[in-house]
Amino acid sequence: MKTDRSLVGWLAAPAVFYLTIVYALPLGWLLARSMMGPDGFSLILFKEFFADPFSWRVIGNTLRIAGLVTILCLVMGYPVAFALARARGVVQVILLAAIILPLSIGVVVKAFAWQIVLRRDGVVSQFLVGIGVWSEPQRLLFTETGLVVGAANVFLPFMILPIYSVVKLIDPRLMEAGATLGVGPVSRFFRILFLLTLPGIVSGIAFVFSLSVSMFVIPSLLIGDRFQTLATLTGRSFLLMRNEALGSVTATVLLVLAVTIVLVSSFLARRAGRFA
Amino acid sequence: MIEPFLEVRNAQKNFGPTTVLDGVTLGVTKGEFVSLLGPSGCGKTTLLRIIAGLTGADVGDVRLDRQDITKLPPHKRDVGVVFQNYALFPHLSVLENISFGLKGRVAKDEATRIAGRFLELVHMRDFADRSVRALSGGQQQRVAVARALAVAPKLLLLDEPFSALDRKLRETMQIELKRLLRELGTTAIFVTHDQDEALVMSDRIAVMNQGRIEQLDTPEALYQNPATSFALQFVGLSTRIFGEVIGQQDGNGILIETRHGVIRAQGNFVRGSKVVIGVRPERISLGAHEGQNSITPQLTDIVFQGARVQVHFASTENEPIILESSARLPASLAPGEAVSISWAPEDTLVFPREASA
Repeated sequence: MKTDRSLVGWLAAPAVFYLTIVYALPLGWLLARSMMGPDGFSLILFKEFFADPFSWRVIGNTLRIAGLVTILCLVMGYPVAFALARARGVVQVILLAAIILPLSIGVVVKAFAWQIVLRRDGVVSQFLVGIGVWSEPQRLLFTETGLVVGAANVFLPFMILPIYSVVKLIDPRLMEAGATLGVGPVSRFFRILFLLTLPGIVSGIAFVFSLSVSMFVIPSLLIGDRFQTLATLTGRSFLLMRNEALGSVTATVLLVLAVTIVLVSSFLARRAGRFA
Repeated sequence: MIEPFLEVRNAQKNFGPTTVLDGVTLGVTKGEFVSLLGPSGCGKTTLLRIIAGLTGADVGDVRLDRQDITKLPPHKRDVGVVFQNYALFPHLSVLENISFGLKGRVAKDEATRIAGRFLELVHMRDFADRSVRALSGGQQQRVAVARALAVAPKLLLLDEPFSALDRKLRETMQIELKRLLRELGTTAIFVTHDQDEALVMSDRIAVMNQGRIEQLDTPEALYQNPATSFALQFVGLSTRIFGEVIGQQDGNGILIETRHGVIRAQGNFVRGSKVVIGVRPERISLGAHEGQNSITPQLTDIVFQGARVQVHFASTENEPIILESSARLPASLAPGEAVSISWAPEDTLVFPREASA
C-alpha cells in the first residue's frame, strides 16, 4: 500500500486550528498589547515596569517561590521515583495510585485543604508543638513556607513521573557493574544513576518550575494579596485593576522567564548526558 | 596442600522457601579457568553473585588470595564480572566504559593508556569514541570483557557471556576469550548451561544440580568418569538403561536385570539396588561380540553428522539408546529393524538411581 506521508501531517490540522484560535491568537494579542505605547509600537511599558522596584520584588518573589518549590519537589520526588520503579506488583500499583489519584482533585480543593492544615491550630502546628520543635502554636498559612509546602504537594507528581519513566528503563545491573569495577556507592551514584536520570530530572524541573512560576490559585489562597508574584499580579491587573497594560507586561515577562529557564535547563542536560 | 586462590566454603542460600545453594564448596587455583555448568535454576548464577559480593550468602564464606572477603562489599573485592547482558554504561563511549573503573585509581593519562591497550586487545580500537548503543552483540561483549579486565581484577567472573551471540560468533569469541585470559594469566570462573562451551573452554568443570556441585573435574575426566547419573546425563550423550542388581559375579562384577536382558558391569552394589546403567555412545559397536554386553533394540533413526554417524534406538525419554560411529555403517541398516549392539562390561557405568531420575 502506498502512503503519502505529506498527507499524514493534515491529521494534526484540527488541533493546530483549535490551538491557534484559543491560544496563539490571544497570546499574540497579549504580546502585542505589551509593546503598544500611546502612539504605536513602543517598549515604554517595559521601561516603566523595570524602573519600579516593586516589579523587581515581584519577579524575585516569583523566582524564589518557583525555585524553592522545584528544589523541594526534586529532593522529595527523586527517591520516590526510584521506589516506584523498583517496586513490584501490588506495592507498585498502590504507589502509582497514591501519586496519580491526587491529580484528579481540583487545585482549589487542595489549596483549601492546605489552609486548614497550615492554620495556627492546624495539624502541622499542633504536631510541631507536640514534639517540642515549637514552643507555642504558629500560623504557617499566609507565609512563604506555607506556600512552598502547599505548592510542592500539588506539583510533586509532575516531578516524580518523568523521573520514574526514566528510572524504569535503567538496568539495575549497571550499578552492580560499577561496583565490580571497584567504584564506591557515592561515586557510582553520581557517575551512573544521576547521569542516566538527568533527562528525567530536567523534564521534572521544567514541569514543576513552569507550573509553579505561573501558579495563580495556590498563592491566592495560601498567602494572599500581600505577597505578589508575576502570575497573581497579572491576574489582579486584568481582573481587579482593569490595567491591561500592566497585565500584558507582567504576562510577557513571566512567559519569557519560564521559557528561558526551561530551554537553558534542557540544553544543560543534553550537554551532560551526551549519549543518554 | 596449598590453599586455593579462591575458596568458597559451605555456601548456602535460600530465597524464601526455595533453597538455591545447598552447601557449595569450591576451590580454584591461580590462573585456572573453571566453569560452573548446570541447568537453569541450579544455583550457578547465585554462586557467582556470592563470589562477587552482589548477593550475600546465608551461610558459608569466601576467601580470595588468602583473604576472607565474605563481608566485603563488591567494590572492595577485586572481583570483575562480565554480565550476561553486558551491562555497559549507555551514557558513555566505548573508551569511557573501559576506563570507568580506572578513574580515581590511576592518573587520567594512565587510565586512557590502559583503556587503549585493552581496546586493542579486544580488537576494538577503531570504536573508542562510539556510543556503546551503536555496537553489535559481539562488540558489546568485547567491551564488557575489556572493561572488567582493565582494572586488573584478581578474579574474573563471567555469567553466560556468549548466550546472546549466534553460534559462529560464539565459537570465535570463546577462542578469543580463552587466549586473552591465558595471556593475562587471569583466574576466571565461567557460568554456562552449554556443555560444549564448558568442555571447550575450561580447565575444570563444576557440574551443578539443585544447589550442589555434583562433580568438579577436568573435561575429560568428567566425560569418561562421571560421578553421578546427573553428570553422565548433562555432559555429553549417553545411553541410559534402568535396572536392578540381581547378583554378584566373580571379582567385583555385578549382574543387572534390565528390560533388555541381563547386563554385566563392574562396581559394588547390594543385590536389589535400583541403578542406572550408562554407556558413552562411541563405546557401543554394532553386532554381538563375545564377552560383551549385548542387547537388540529397535533402530529408529540414523543421523549423519559429517565425520560421525549417530544411530538412535527405540527408547523412553529417560532411557535413550544411542550409538556413535566414525566408520561407515552397513547399507542394510534401516529404521524399524531390531539390531544387535554391544559394549564391554568395563565401559558400563553404574549409578544408583535417584528418586527423580
